[in-house]
Amino acid sequence: MKWPAMQKRTLALLAVLLPLAVLFLYVALTSGPLAPVPVIAGTVENRSIAPALFGIGTIEARFRYRIGPTFAGRVQRLEVDVGDQVQGGQVIGEMDPVDLDDRLRAMDAAQKRAEAQLREAEVRNDHARKEAHRYQLAFRERSVSEEIAAAKQQENLVTEEGLKAAREELSRIVAERQAVKALRTDLKLVAPVGGLVVSREGEPGTTVVAGQVVVEMIDPASVWVDVRFDQITAQGLKAGLPARILLRSQENRVLTGRILRVEPLADAVTEETLAKVIFDELPEPLPPIGELTEVTVSLPTLPEGPVIPNAALQRSDGQLGVWQVAGGKLRFTQVVLGSADLDGRVQVRQGLQAGDRIVVYSEKALSARSRIKVVEHLSGVEP
Amino acid sequence: MDGKGIGITGLKKRYGRGDTAVDALKGVDMEVAPGEVVGLIGPSGSGKSTLLKCLGAVIEPTSGRMRLGAEVIYDDGWKVKDIRALRRDRIGFVFQAPYLIPFLDVTDNVALPSMLAGVANAEARQRAVELLQALDVGHRARAMPSQLSGGEQQRVAIARGLVNQPPVILADEPTAPLDSERALAVIRILNEMARKFETAIIVVTHDEKIIPTFKRIYHIRDGVTYEEEGEGRGFE
Amino acid sequence: MISLAARDILHAWGKFVFTGIGLGLLIGVTLTMAGVYRGMVDDARVLLDNSGADLWVVQKDTLGPYAESSSIYDDVWRGVRGMPGVARAANVTYLTMQVRLGDHDVRSMVSGIATGEPGTPGWPPQLVAGRQITRGHYEAVADIATGFKLGDRLQIRRNHYTVVGLTRRMVSSNGDPMVFIPLKDAQEAQFLKDNDAILQQRRRTAENPVYNPPGIPGMLDGVIAAQSTNPFVNAVLVQVAPGSRPDEVAEGIRRWKRLTVYTRGQMEDILVGKLIATSAKQIGMFLVILAVVSAAIVAFIIYTLTLGKIREIAVLKLIGTRNTTIAGMILQQAVALGLIGFVVGKIAATFGAPYFPKHVLLLPRDSFAGLLAVVVICVLSSIVAIRAAIKVDPAEAVGG
Repeated sequence: MKWPAMQKRTLALLAVLLPLAVLFLYVALTSGPLAPVPVIAGTVENRSIAPALFGIGTIEARFRYRIGPTFAGRVQRLEVDVGDQVQGGQVIGEMDPVDLDDRLRAMDAAQKRAEAQLREAEVRNDHARKEAHRYQLAFRERSVSEEIAAAKQQENLVTEEGLKAAREELSRIVAERQAVKALRTDLKLVAPVGGLVVSREGEPGTTVVAGQVVVEMIDPASVWVDVRFDQITAQGLKAGLPARILLRSQENRVLTGRILRVEPLADAVTEETLAKVIFDELPEPLPPIGELTEVTVSLPTLPEGPVIPNAALQRSDGQLGVWQVAGGKLRFTQVVLGSADLDGRVQVRQGLQAGDRIVVYSEKALSARSRIKVVEHLSGVEP
Repeated sequence: MDGKGIGITGLKKRYGRGDTAVDALKGVDMEVAPGEVVGLIGPSGSGKSTLLKCLGAVIEPTSGRMRLGAEVIYDDGWKVKDIRALRRDRIGFVFQAPYLIPFLDVTDNVALPSMLAGVANAEARQRAVELLQALDVGHRARAMPSQLSGGEQQRVAIARGLVNQPPVILADEPTAPLDSERALAVIRILNEMARKFETAIIVVTHDEKIIPTFKRIYHIRDGVTYEEEGEGRGFE
Repeated sequence: MISLAARDILHAWGKFVFTGIGLGLLIGVTLTMAGVYRGMVDDARVLLDNSGADLWVVQKDTLGPYAESSSIYDDVWRGVRGMPGVARAANVTYLTMQVRLGDHDVRSMVSGIATGEPGTPGWPPQLVAGRQITRGHYEAVADIATGFKLGDRLQIRRNHYTVVGLTRRMVSSNGDPMVFIPLKDAQEAQFLKDNDAILQQRRRTAENPVYNPPGIPGMLDGVIAAQSTNPFVNAVLVQVAPGSRPDEVAEGIRRWKRLTVYTRGQMEDILVGKLIATSAKQIGMFLVILAVVSAAIVAFIIYTLTLGKIREIAVLKLIGTRNTTIAGMILQQAVALGLIGFVVGKIAATFGAPYFPKHVLLLPRDSFAGLLAVVVICVLSSIVAIRAAIKVDPAEAVGG
């Protein structure tokens, strides 16, 4: 239009409407399905990785001594408490003897009686032997009848057997007395080895059944970690591998150790492989038994090979692979994976070469039709 | 007359029916020649407005005869098909207030009836600018109506009435809002235009200032017109 | 002929544009409302998409795991894995809870994912930062909407988790952002009560002579151990082998494993048709109301604009303007107003959408429908104004 008065107005209107139209176009093109998906691309690196396994374990003692009476009874006294150090052979408590002493005294009396009976049998036997000898001589001189001599001889034999019986009776009583006496000694609860008392289950006066634990003790030197590894990620686990142990109570302190053995029996229910890890050096103070630990086992470093971040892995149509960027186009490349480390790096056995460009991060799931825009930072993610 | 200008005979207009019917016009005769400016004077309720509306083809008379130029446009019924085109092309209006279209600039306001008649924009505008120059408002051609003074607006309104060079212009109290000097100026312009474009101009007014300028005056009272010689002063 | 509508708009462009912007904001609200609905549907869909599953195996006769609670034994997957046509099967748990970070918490859906490699059903399909979970415990991948950052230490129940990866648009059907943690931890989190409750439960068990009879040492320990494990998961996600039809595989599992199985289509019906149905209707009502209000406002504006021009319209008619020209002028103005409003609304909705706490999805299809609706509403609402304009008597311009 050639009218300046109009033009001014028109310009003003355009000044409002044009930015609106531009904004509208911008909005239409940059949002919605027309908009390209911002992605961050990465390069397949050629490097070696040190795979590691991660497991959760609890502090356990390898040797646990559960001490209790061998028969039902009442606890009389306990001299140790939880946390006490005890020596091997130390008496740590005693069961109430109840009637044992009386039974011992009865056995003493029974023994004396048996001894007396033995002596009586000896005397009888001695007399019978002498009689038999005398009648034998008298028979030889024909001063007594044969019948009488034979009777005396028989008497002698009978008393001899009576003597044997009295002897055996005595040894029975003695043995019995010794058994009761041994029982009396077994009332003492004795520490089998030196160690640490970790629990005290009964108090004096408690009645316990045979085999029930009264005091539990461990050998502190035998503390180890019972670690569980998920079976899927337990590949390469074997004895002797170094391990880093992190106690839940001391997150900043890394303890070192190694795998003592991998248990031949796995946990079928939880689908975990079990292993024992021992400390290189026992932590001081000793961690409580049962404390949760995180154990990282380092596997041998692998030779160099193409390595990608695990964030790049996608599954498309049931195939595992990565989105490869070639000339601004997306292509899904199937990969065969090797080992992975705990920092999210995965070795690629097949499918990719070092130097290939792949999509690592994307704002949306990608498909072969997706338009992409390679950016440095994704919105909302702090660099 | 000679078949130009406007002529009406026996024009009647009745509003309503039956007992409540009102006869606004009871047989009006009027004859205005091209180039002539006549006054139409009457008190309120005299039928002045009704006559103007009938002349302007805004309302339909009840009976009578109207001639515009050589064509009979009404003879107990409209004789032309397109009343709007009739209004647009052959009758010019000038109102008491200018009633310019506020969103069009002066030129387009004047050119609009031409454009409505199908004249190309450029041509219509050129004609408008010429008219505005003739009316001494050529310098305001690009202004918006709101930027004009009352007199300028009225002149623009006159230009709009003239742009299709209609045989007749109906001016309804064109000088009412103006002071006497400007009112007389408007009347002078109307006279000039009437002469220049051979247009019959009917000025409805009761403005004492301008009544003496008419050579011929129609008085209207109770729906009947009376013709009278005017003083015809001032423009010779 | 010049465009009267354009001239009028040009003359009063300020009023016109600002009215348009005002209308635009209203349209923006309407579009956003539609976006909220689409967002809800999309939330449900992305939940299904992101799970990467073709089939959902859940507790018999439940609508689990999203719409109803479902719990099945965590070794069911082995049997499912053995069914013909199953390529992958993985346990999964879902638990909506407050995840704590420092002294504030974020409502999120904690999902326990089975150990494996990326691409296992249940795993977040793509990340925006960090890496996928590599350790079997105490690592988490969080949706960026949680506000967590890489390296943050989250607290879920009594355990701490390190955020190792961030993802995007991983939400529950309620729109809560998701936090992925290893399955075993999640099972524990789902079951684990606070320490006090555990202690009390142990005490109750110990006091119950059935569980702690005198003379049978060790029984109590066994009972307590049995009480404090959680062998349940919420669902098994199944990926179907290429070439197998999900429906057939699902039928096999239903028949032989006596579990309820949902396919993708059925799951979508449950989520969209049942879970968000009421909310959707609610929003639908709002949409209708907003559309009516918008229509009323457009009609009112156009009518007011027209009434303001009655005298001009009379003059225009008097000087011979056709009714159609005048109607066209009003119509054009109404549509122009609507278009300005639409453009402003679309822009406002697009820029406003990210600030909504829940996902607002603006589909071009909706925008297009919105545009059509705006035009139709403008045309309809200008009818009133056009009627008023047509009724104007040109005689009004001629005084008294």
